[in-house]
Amino acid sequence: MIGEKIRCLLAMLGTDVHSKGIRTLAQLLRDRGVEVIYLGEHNTADGLINALIAEDADVVGLSYSTATYLHYTRDLLVKMKAAGVDDVPVMLGGLIHADDEPELREMGVKGIFGPGSSMTQIVAFLQDVTGKTLTAP
Amino acid sequence: MNAPPKPDETQRAADIAAHLEDVSVKLSRTATWSGIETQPSYGPEDIRDTDYARDLGNPGEYPYTRGAYSQMYRSRMWTLRNIVGYGSPEDTRDGIENAIRMGTAGINIVLDTLSQEAIDADHPVLSADAGQEGCSLPMVADFEILLKGIDVTRQDIAWHSTMMTYPMVVAMALRQGKDISKLQGSHMPDHLQLRLAGWSEAIVPAGLGHRTTVDCVEYSAKNSPKWALGCPQAYDIRERGMSAAGEIAIGMAIINQTFGDLIARGMHVDQVAPSMAWVSTSDIDFFEEIAKFRALRRVWARTMKERFGSVDARSQRLRLACHTSGRSLVYQQPLNNLSRAAVQTLAALLGGVQSVETCTYDEPICIPTEEARELATRTQQILANEIGAARTADPLGGSYYIEKLTNDVEAEALAMLAKIEGIGLIKAIEDGTIEGMMDEYNYRHQQELDSQQRIVVGVNKYLPKNSTLPKRFSLDPGRMTSHIQRFKERKAGRDMSVLRSKIDALYQVAHRRENSHQAMIDALVADGTTGEVWGTVRAANGLPYDPFRAIESPFQYPKP
Repeated sequence: MIGEKIRCLLAMLGTDVHSKGIRTLAQLLRDRGVEVIYLGEHNTADGLINALIAEDADVVGLSYSTATYLHYTRDLLVKMKAAGVDDVPVMLGGLIHADDEPELREMGVKGIFGPGSSMTQIVAFLQDVTGKTLTAP
Repeated sequence: MNAPPKPDETQRAADIAAHLEDVSVKLSRTATWSGIETQPSYGPEDIRDTDYARDLGNPGEYPYTRGAYSQMYRSRMWTLRNIVGYGSPEDTRDGIENAIRMGTAGINIVLDTLSQEAIDADHPVLSADAGQEGCSLPMVADFEILLKGIDVTRQDIAWHSTMMTYPMVVAMALRQGKDISKLQGSHMPDHLQLRLAGWSEAIVPAGLGHRTTVDCVEYSAKNSPKWALGCPQAYDIRERGMSAAGEIAIGMAIINQTFGDLIARGMHVDQVAPSMAWVSTSDIDFFEEIAKFRALRRVWARTMKERFGSVDARSQRLRLACHTSGRSLVYQQPLNNLSRAAVQTLAALLGGVQSVETCTYDEPICIPTEEARELATRTQQILANEIGAARTADPLGGSYYIEKLTNDVEAEALAMLAKIEGIGLIKAIEDGTIEGMMDEYNYRHQQELDSQQRIVVGVNKYLPKNSTLPKRFSLDPGRMTSHIQRFKERKAGRDMSVLRSKIDALYQVAHRRENSHQAMIDALVADGTTGEVWGTVRAANGLPYDPFRAIESPFQYPKP
């Protein structure tokens, strides 16, 4: 679909304060025409899902710099399923260790953008999972 | 007779030529890492306006540009620090003992993300974070387990944390019957820095946070004058996204606001400033960081004397606590981080800092392993014993380049400081001006990486062919599970009538916007938890008890 904007919700879960990366990503995505719904840090899974439903986002992007991402992501995906919004693809970024990728994929994470990932890869992923084409603003 | 080269040989030669072109080191940037443009060389004309006595002074003399002490490392070696903290109090205690055996001079403790946000370890939504990235210390009893047999009025413990740490340590000392006027050690009371470094308005509102800093500094200066205050905590501000000049600007804005408020409460700058040390970073640009440390001492000295009327040299000579830059270390080919951290540590020493923690090379990957921490310690020992970094004070002083860069960093810092103070610091934080400055810095930085105007080895050039990641730190979760169980049991076994009366008193004091430190300490002595005590202060300030809004306060607060 051309002309319809990709709506991407960006958030962090738990007590992680390292939001530098996700703030920069928000700006870089906006530059490319993505409509970013920025929740920032310190969200609970319930709060995130409420926002997701209210905002009707196409994709959820989570960023992590602490080692608890397996726990928080699994918890979110279970609750998304219970809330009936598990059709919304989830992508992860930040300090994601390569060894954890199979487990994350298995629990249903669609995109993993750890260290060394590029904007080109993230943009290609967003277009692929949403079926929408980005046009610069 | 030479036969003409075969086609595949021609191709191989071309490949080699292309490869050589690719790997040869070229000047990729003429500006400093923070963006100050530099010249091919510098001479006397570049520092024509610099007056030695007025702008530099000998080491140990005003304005302390060349160092805080005349003999520098000959009289006081820098303190080799190594931070420890993970899991339960028992886990961290083991880590401290290992670090001391390895040659770490002081005990340096980092708290887990929950304790750093004054949230209890058994929080129903956040418990998974307990023991992550630091030690879980939700109540005084946990401090007692961690420090069993260690006398806090004799041992210098550096706490890498802000929220609730000082009241916790004082409460523990009081429970042990110690004289808190003899309390040793340090922590980092700067809450505005937290607000800017991702704690956000939800966890640390700027107004309440700043008032808590001022309360803490006032209480400590009056009651525990030997306790050192790492303020401002400019490290996190810089790591978050700031230039070298920006570190000075925002740090000084915090200092000016804090001193202004303390003076309004009737204190004198010389009652407080001698206890303070600036918590700084040493980032990747070697010369710029050295210039920053020098410019910073000069700005500090002049501010104390000219703006606040200090007459005590101890207030004017700034001491610097340095932790090398974590943001400059990269995940790709992590052993390269040993080189980065070594050069950053050298810059800190040539810049005349009083303590250094060298980052471990595995910092971007996991909680430091034992081996990585040992190597960080060895880096400093090599610099101290083999390289000759400690021999002579301010060894680069008088270099045309360093003096010019010192002037440039200072000028940029003062211009930024004037801009922030023009808006007003608290307002500039609340309205997002300062976060906007950081976002802008990070955005430009990323764009320059993408366009290769800025090269980071292994990240956007010279990519490793087959880099293996080091072993990850792993921790037996058994002790954490028992720690959380013990925490719940301890809470269930408390004398609630005593605690309730202390919580009531705290609420009243905090509601009147008075210094609530004594009341916080009293509640902690009565076995209040970090979440309960800070939650009560929050509630008294009209905020939700739990910033995540997942739990309600177990206490009934008086209706105001």
